[in-house]
Amino acid sequence: MTVTTRPRAQRAAPPTSHTAKNRRRPATVYILILALSIFFVGPFLWLVLAALKTPAEWASLPISVLPEHAQWSNFVAALTDMNFLGYAGNSMILATIYSVLVTLSSAAVGFGFARLTAPGKKALFVVILSTMMIPQILTLLPTYVLFSRIGMVNTYWPWVLWGLAASPYLVFLFRQFFAAIPRELEDAAIIDGAGWLRMFFTIFLPLSRPVLITSFLLSFTGTWGDYIAPALFLDLDRTTLAVAITAWYQDPHGNVIPTVQAAGAVMYIIPVLLIFFFTQRYFIRSAVGSGVKG
Amino acid sequence: MARKWTRYPKKTFYAFIGPWAIGFVLLTAVPMLYGFLVSLTNFDGSSPRWKWVGLRNYLELFNDGDAWAALGRTMAFTAIVVPLSVAGSLGLALIINRRLRAVGLWRTVFFLPSVVPVVAMAIMWKLVFNKDAGILNAVLGVVGIGPIDWLVDPTVFYSLITVMLWGLGGGMVIMLAALQGVPVELEEAAVVDGAGRWTVLRHVTVPMISPILFFQVITMVIGSLQIFVQPLLLTNSSGIAGAGTVPESNRMYMVQVYQEFFLSNRFGYGSAMLWIFFIIILGLTMVLLRSSRSWVHYEVDTDAEREGATK
Repeated sequence: MTVTTRPRAQRAAPPTSHTAKNRRRPATVYILILALSIFFVGPFLWLVLAALKTPAEWASLPISVLPEHAQWSNFVAALTDMNFLGYAGNSMILATIYSVLVTLSSAAVGFGFARLTAPGKKALFVVILSTMMIPQILTLLPTYVLFSRIGMVNTYWPWVLWGLAASPYLVFLFRQFFAAIPRELEDAAIIDGAGWLRMFFTIFLPLSRPVLITSFLLSFTGTWGDYIAPALFLDLDRTTLAVAITAWYQDPHGNVIPTVQAAGAVMYIIPVLLIFFFTQRYFIRSAVGSGVKG
Repeated sequence: MARKWTRYPKKTFYAFIGPWAIGFVLLTAVPMLYGFLVSLTNFDGSSPRWKWVGLRNYLELFNDGDAWAALGRTMAFTAIVVPLSVAGSLGLALIINRRLRAVGLWRTVFFLPSVVPVVAMAIMWKLVFNKDAGILNAVLGVVGIGPIDWLVDPTVFYSLITVMLWGLGGGMVIMLAALQGVPVELEEAAVVDGAGRWTVLRHVTVPMISPILFFQVITMVIGSLQIFVQPLLLTNSSGIAGAGTVPESNRMYMVQVYQEFFLSNRFGYGSAMLWIFFIIILGLTMVLLRSSRSWVHYEVDTDAEREGATK
């Protein structure tokens, strides 16, 4: 409540008291930040705590917040109740295939739009921008129907094709980067007799390292986290970790064991969190690139 | 035989953008057209004995109360989530944009949830929302609020909104970049003129970042309308998620479509639903784009203005 009423009080105050207000403000701001942090971090903590409890502790009333003894056996169960590492391997392969392909193809397409020209370029760029607005899921279901009729369901081919086809958003990111590189560099390469293909691979691609990394990380975590495409296109034995952790970890009655599933979920998000902690600036860069220039 | 040298051979451009162009045709245009053809049939997903039924699926859709109810729910959901998300991410960005202690830590804390995979997010929040063992009811119990079943009708709708707001951090980072692009002199000038913090925000900061606000609104509207996986996973049921287990209040349009496809095996009817939805989303986007002319402020020529100011 203090948060909403304060600005009004300020407006009524004469401008001279401005510094005094600033001195008083931080306390409220820090309380607000603390409350928000609980909201944002709380679910993580609760997940980890659940992963360390016995099923009885988890279900006990009144709630016991901390487990009496950390139940590391939940993690063992999560690894062995289903072929965890196998599913993690599927996720890893799929995410790597897609990310490598989509990064290279998007870089090439972005390069084309940034540095080359031919009739129809403007119209094509409008098309690529508007495809960003087509909801993914609308094309996913018809693609599934089509692919199931030509026998491409339950293979990794759809991801190869999606990778080769480039992602409009990443194309945009690469285009912005390549467009900002001075023309002199291009001229020098042309004088040296380099063709566009060689120029792309030996000069522009190495220069775009930060965008390459951003693109790879975004597509990797995106594919690792994707639920609906693997759920639709892959059977349970070939699917990814994302689908598997929702489908397994059941007791004989078919009820999910929450503590084991929590342990599985912890292990499932650890790669994403590690990537995020070490490469946060690349994630921020992508968000910034999309918003400011979009 | 020597041809005239050109800096930009046409073929090179087409070769470079080729992967996308072919992909667009094969993976977007063809599936959508194929979906349209399927929408004119009574195809059930497997049986070879399907028939053309013309526009019958579309006619049925116009009288399908469940589909319209789902559409209404999706619209309501969007109308609640988008303003909250835009205001919320702007609010977070305004907090982070101040000179605070450990600002990097807070930014990470706020940003982190937005990179958590949807499946993990659903598992986490189901544990928080659990009626008997969840932390939320435990905390509320201390203040004497009896156990609430967060994952059934009608509360699950608000639980879903809460989960969506948990991922505000992605928007916050974009807003933060926008805020840092607002010239400080502009805000200071307003303060000198006697404007309070709120007035500066309302009449200086927000107009300056309105192009990005608008971009956020568009992407969030499109994103919220097609919401699907979150309602599918955020249920009391366990095991492989199916459209059938989603509580009534969270039966969004895409959940309904999924049900027609995979529960009722009505691929034709589901495809018709997809096409109508595509047209609705397209129309809404157009309306938003048109409305933007009146409230989005585009800076025409900053440098010229600045030069004029210094003279």
